[in-house]
Amino acid sequence: MRPALLIAVREFLGNARTRGFWFGILMVPLLWVIASQVPLWLARKGTPTRHFALVDATRSGRSAGVILGHLRRVEERRESMHFREWAAPRLQPGRSLPASDGAQAPWRELQSRVAESMRADAGAFAPPEPLHRPVVLPAGLEWRGDLAEFEGRLRDWLREERPCAPEGGGEPVVLFGAAIVLDGEGPGEPPVLRFWSANQADTRLRDAMAEALSRDHRQVEYTRRGLDPAIVAQVEAAGARVVDLNPRKAAGEERVGLADLLRQWAPSAFVYLLWIAVFAVSQMLLNSLIEERSNRILEVLVSSVTPLQLMVGKLLGVAAVGAVMTLAWIGSLVLVTVWMVGASGVAAVAPDSAVARLPVELATLLADSWILPAFALYFVLGYLFYSAVILALGSTCSDLKEAQNFTGVIALFMMVPLVSITFIPRDPNGPVATLLSWIPPYTPFVMMNRVAAGPPMVDVLGTLALLVVSDVLVLWACARVFRRAVLRTGQPASLVQLARWIAGRG
Amino acid sequence: MAVALELDGVSKSFGDFQAVQDLSLRVEQGSVHGFLGPNGAGKTTSLRMILGMLLPDAGRISVLGSSSALAVRNRVGYLPEEKGLYRKMTAADVIAYFAMLKGLGRSEARRRARALLGRYGLGAFADSKIETLSKGMGQKVQVLSSIAHEPELVIFDEPFSGLDPVNQQVLEEIVQDLRARGATLLFSTHVMAHAERLCDRLSIVGGGRGLFEGSVSEARRLLPVRIGLETSDPSADPGPLPGVVRREPLGSGRWNLELGPGADPSVILEACFERALRLRRFEVHETDLHDVFVHLVGPAAREASMR
Repeated sequence: MRPALLIAVREFLGNARTRGFWFGILMVPLLWVIASQVPLWLARKGTPTRHFALVDATRSGRSAGVILGHLRRVEERRESMHFREWAAPRLQPGRSLPASDGAQAPWRELQSRVAESMRADAGAFAPPEPLHRPVVLPAGLEWRGDLAEFEGRLRDWLREERPCAPEGGGEPVVLFGAAIVLDGEGPGEPPVLRFWSANQADTRLRDAMAEALSRDHRQVEYTRRGLDPAIVAQVEAAGARVVDLNPRKAAGEERVGLADLLRQWAPSAFVYLLWIAVFAVSQMLLNSLIEERSNRILEVLVSSVTPLQLMVGKLLGVAAVGAVMTLAWIGSLVLVTVWMVGASGVAAVAPDSAVARLPVELATLLADSWILPAFALYFVLGYLFYSAVILALGSTCSDLKEAQNFTGVIALFMMVPLVSITFIPRDPNGPVATLLSWIPPYTPFVMMNRVAAGPPMVDVLGTLALLVVSDVLVLWACARVFRRAVLRTGQPASLVQLARWIAGRG
Repeated sequence: MAVALELDGVSKSFGDFQAVQDLSLRVEQGSVHGFLGPNGAGKTTSLRMILGMLLPDAGRISVLGSSSALAVRNRVGYLPEEKGLYRKMTAADVIAYFAMLKGLGRSEARRRARALLGRYGLGAFADSKIETLSKGMGQKVQVLSSIAHEPELVIFDEPFSGLDPVNQQVLEEIVQDLRARGATLLFSTHVMAHAERLCDRLSIVGGGRGLFEGSVSEARRLLPVRIGLETSDPSADPGPLPGVVRREPLGSGRWNLELGPGADPSVILEACFERALRLRRFEVHETDLHDVFVHLVGPAAREASMR
């Protein structure tokens, strides 16, 4: 056993000292931060102010005011939201921000209300650059009453990216787009918004203008038809109240909360982790074996230890690498989540909100549920299955290129559980999920995903037993191949040769 | 003398190819034994069978009194023909690692690794990664990693290949040190000069068969001593000379003389003077191992190279 342990330790240290190992450890929390923070950052900072020209060609001439008023209110809400995000982590201990009323007071008003609650070193809030800003229609782009003629000039202006002066002053800017509002085609018909822009991907300005016009039109129509717009607004705001209940929970506690949602979806996240871990670790094992094989170190090793000790040592060493890696991933995901929630200051704004309770719920879930033990069990069993196969096939190849022919097929085989990650939680005890969980190479991934739904005990124990038996058989067969292939040189073994080795012949 | 290693009628084939056929070999304890043969002679296959990595189809192998090298692997050191080490490990760590696999404790393995590196001129590189060392240095590290556990039997497969003359000298020093320590050394090579200098006994194989086993001097005696003789008179014939068993004229007054066992070249020279031969050249060709090797394995080597 000592030689196998020595090999395991060297294997572990050999991998742990590589840049790839540390990159792998940092990759998951880094991706988590990027995936959760970058869209928010882009939403705040990433989009430059969109400058636009607005022509109101309606008979009433009130559409421009409607649009600009709406955009101003949108901007005020956005500023107010930014102020809250800025202010939350800068409050004095024990203080909180006033609850948001939905309408959102302008940020300056909010600032004056919380001034005394802020820490002395809070600094000054700088409101974000506006999302949208109108320009003064320049000479040469005046509205002369003829739409076709105006749009001809407008098209040239936009295509040639000629500069305009923004309203309120400032450096000349290039137009993002231009809008012309026309009367509807008949009485009572909503107005027409002709929106010109070379950027068809960012539709926020167009959508905001359309929403402003639609709302205004509806208000006008309610009034024209004798309805009180305030009552209509009240009625439109009303909606069914949904209460999620789960019959599996204890009496009196059936209500579904954040913890239940976490319990429902956390296994899927862990299946991803499991898949990445098994895949990455198997690749490490293959690389290490091929290095030893191409360097002829294997020959020295098998003069010092038996092939079985070598195989066991390598499996243990790389499994330890995988275990450390996944533990680091899980730990860092929790820490990053706690850090992100703490940095957001949400606990000061809404201490009972789902986001504020996320770290506690997450820690409770990991500490008190079956997720970590199940993950550890399925990691070990899944890893043993795939790594033994990879080790046996890798031992028949003299370089990485040859080995990749095999690993390509295994990677394709492993795509099935990856694809199943999203649909299994929706029908965890359905025929497809049940069938997949009885196929041993898929069992770890599929059962990890199903366990949240409480599958029948026969499935849990039966698939587990089948997986254990499969692992034993695969390890036995792979050890036979490994023992014979490890010193072989020349062409990779054929399938017939592999079968002969497993059968104990040749 | 006790026998450290013995092969008796060992054969091994791979499919239709007979790699080793009825090979017998005895390596005495404490001796340096050369295992000579051309490429494809079956040397590496034989060494792998000795080490238990391959099982012979027929015959018997005894290593340090055991029927399997696997049972005594901690008393055996092995350096394979194709050299390779973990590139990211340091020289001292590599040597200590392989010594630990052979049963040494961690601290003792580390101590010996540093001592060996210092002894053979690599002390300054003990903490250098293998990938930063020259090829020759790497090879020396690998040699040291095969002997750090102080094995009783050391098996080197082509240890000199790829080494420059200076490092070859160091390796010869290592061999002498092993001999002084009382270890038994079996090494394969096709460089005759090393075998001639280092070996107490040697085996020559060709085409998978054993062709000779004995001491270097016994090997030399397989071929007669020759004398190259040239006279200034192209028509002169030296006639029968004492101890010369064969006289071969090469033309223009040049002769090739083949001496019988125990013949003395000085007596022949004296006879030449007595016959008033006007000698321009009298050159004694002592038989060296190279001649014996080519004589023994030439046909087998040519056959192997055609395969």
